[in-house]
Amino acid sequence: MSDGTAIPQHALERLKGLRSEGHPGGIFTSDFSINEFLLVRKAGFEPVGLCVGSCIYHLGIQYANWSKNQEMDVLSQAMYHARELAMSRMRAEAEGMGADGIVGVELTVKRMEWDDKILEFIAIGTGVVHAKGHPGFKGYNGKPFTSDLSGQDFWTLLQAGYRPLEMVMGSCVYHVAHQGMFKALGNVGNNTELTNYSQALYDAREIAMERMQHEAIQVQAEGVVGVDLHEGSHNWQPHIIEFFAVGTAVTPITTERDASTIPDPQLVLSVNN
Amino acid sequence: MSWFDRFKGSAPPASPVGPAQQDFAGDPAQRASEWESALQHHRLPAFVKHRLGEAGSGKLPWIATMSPAELAQTHRYRVRPIAMVSGTCWYHYGYSWTNGHAAGWHTALRRLQQEAAAAGANAIVDVRMRKIDMELDSSMDFTLIGTAVRIEGMPPNPEPVVATVSALEFMRLLEAGIVPTGIAIGAHYEWLGSWQRNLDAKGGWVNQPLTTLGNFWERVRKQALLQLKQDAHAAGNGVLAHTHFGQLLKAEEGDSERYLGRHIVIGTVVDGERYRSVPHDIRHVVDMCDGVSPLCEQRPSSHNVYDTNQEEGSI
Repeated sequence: MSDGTAIPQHALERLKGLRSEGHPGGIFTSDFSINEFLLVRKAGFEPVGLCVGSCIYHLGIQYANWSKNQEMDVLSQAMYHARELAMSRMRAEAEGMGADGIVGVELTVKRMEWDDKILEFIAIGTGVVHAKGHPGFKGYNGKPFTSDLSGQDFWTLLQAGYRPLEMVMGSCVYHVAHQGMFKALGNVGNNTELTNYSQALYDAREIAMERMQHEAIQVQAEGVVGVDLHEGSHNWQPHIIEFFAVGTAVTPITTERDASTIPDPQLVLSVNN
Repeated sequence: MSWFDRFKGSAPPASPVGPAQQDFAGDPAQRASEWESALQHHRLPAFVKHRLGEAGSGKLPWIATMSPAELAQTHRYRVRPIAMVSGTCWYHYGYSWTNGHAAGWHTALRRLQQEAAAAGANAIVDVRMRKIDMELDSSMDFTLIGTAVRIEGMPPNPEPVVATVSALEFMRLLEAGIVPTGIAIGAHYEWLGSWQRNLDAKGGWVNQPLTTLGNFWERVRKQALLQLKQDAHAAGNGVLAHTHFGQLLKAEEGDSERYLGRHIVIGTVVDGERYRSVPHDIRHVVDMCDGVSPLCEQRPSSHNVYDTNQEEGSI
């Protein structure tokens, strides 16, 4: 429709009840909000279906040295492996439906109340295809791209001259050393930095960051957008924390968009509140 | 043999384990000793410096906490993200909780700037204050996380400015000639002893102001604000103090009673020309949405780890 104000013929016919018969292309499913749906279409994509991957994982056992800062590599590996499994199952679904990529991926971890060693990992997002079949939007190696960006952010990212490649992540589960009784007593009246704790946080965060960055290198990304760093404990002892870095690796669409062509934002003030 | 060797095919896997993540990370013991000496000598470990330097020269992918909209807006002004940087200090407060908090944030701030400088940045945007929920030995971790950015064609700043605002707001401020330059902290605490009379009301039936206590509490707050001003002085000509946290506590030991007043104020320091305003026109819109308009909805405050207690804590 060239005229933005008219209702398209297709919609009018559907409203009249003329086109109620089943669609030859099948029915799509998606957890998009209305605005997300509209913006993804505005970006030139159509949703094809919800892609789900899940994985129930039993975490191995690892004992930490009480007085030592150390990475719990069994747990780090488990957390990474389980997420990767959930993601790859989701990706396989997307490939099965011929999607170019998955938008709005939510990656969550759930506890099972009956066993604190078992966690469920779920990845869910909407598979999309380019409406005109443009082949240039696939992810690394011709696989579907994955992105935790919402439909709105997806549209904006393309506007900014970038396309998503893959959700990249880095995980590090770390044991923060306990302080010895002697040391703790020595500090009672003092205002002082506890350097071994600071050190532990630094090391853990740095490792998570390095790992995420490495994933970005592997998919030949220019950068990673929308990165967040989560600190969490999944039913573990109090001194064990997971640092989890996650973001969307992106690459310029073809040549980078010239800065002067990015429009001015409009500032608005809502006068009713 | 470490579990990692199993993936090289040198041993059959004992259990069905999946892929491990690739590491630049070296030997844990060596890393630990590098961190230790780095924190002691107020510098960065060689491997962190190297990674940030490589990101600064474009050899590694950049990492940004920004949203795509912010990425587009910063590109417009030729501002480039480099790396996510952080500063952490786990601080134990022995004799003073209040001073401990001030010292913890100051140390974290210095370390944050150190990482950004290693990346060759001009500024750090989207700086958030964080703590981990792990209460250990009356101590707390003070963590600052943000995105180091460089402005194209500008030499790196040895002391990058620290902006606690998002990249979108950062660009709006810059357009208006205002640079958010840092975080200022004012913290003060005082004890009020029981030898000072007239702390409490004399008679239950009489309306009366508690002047001693009132003056004491006012003094504590004013001192904290004064400190905030002094702290901000070096970095800019204004502070937007977004966080106020105060507690007036009563401690009773036998016959004697004391009061502890403590107050922390934290704000974003700005440096700008006065009387210059936003270059854009502002359109008035009426949002016809029922309920809370998304335009008015408050963004969750990302730089605030203290629940502000002004409503219930104020006198």
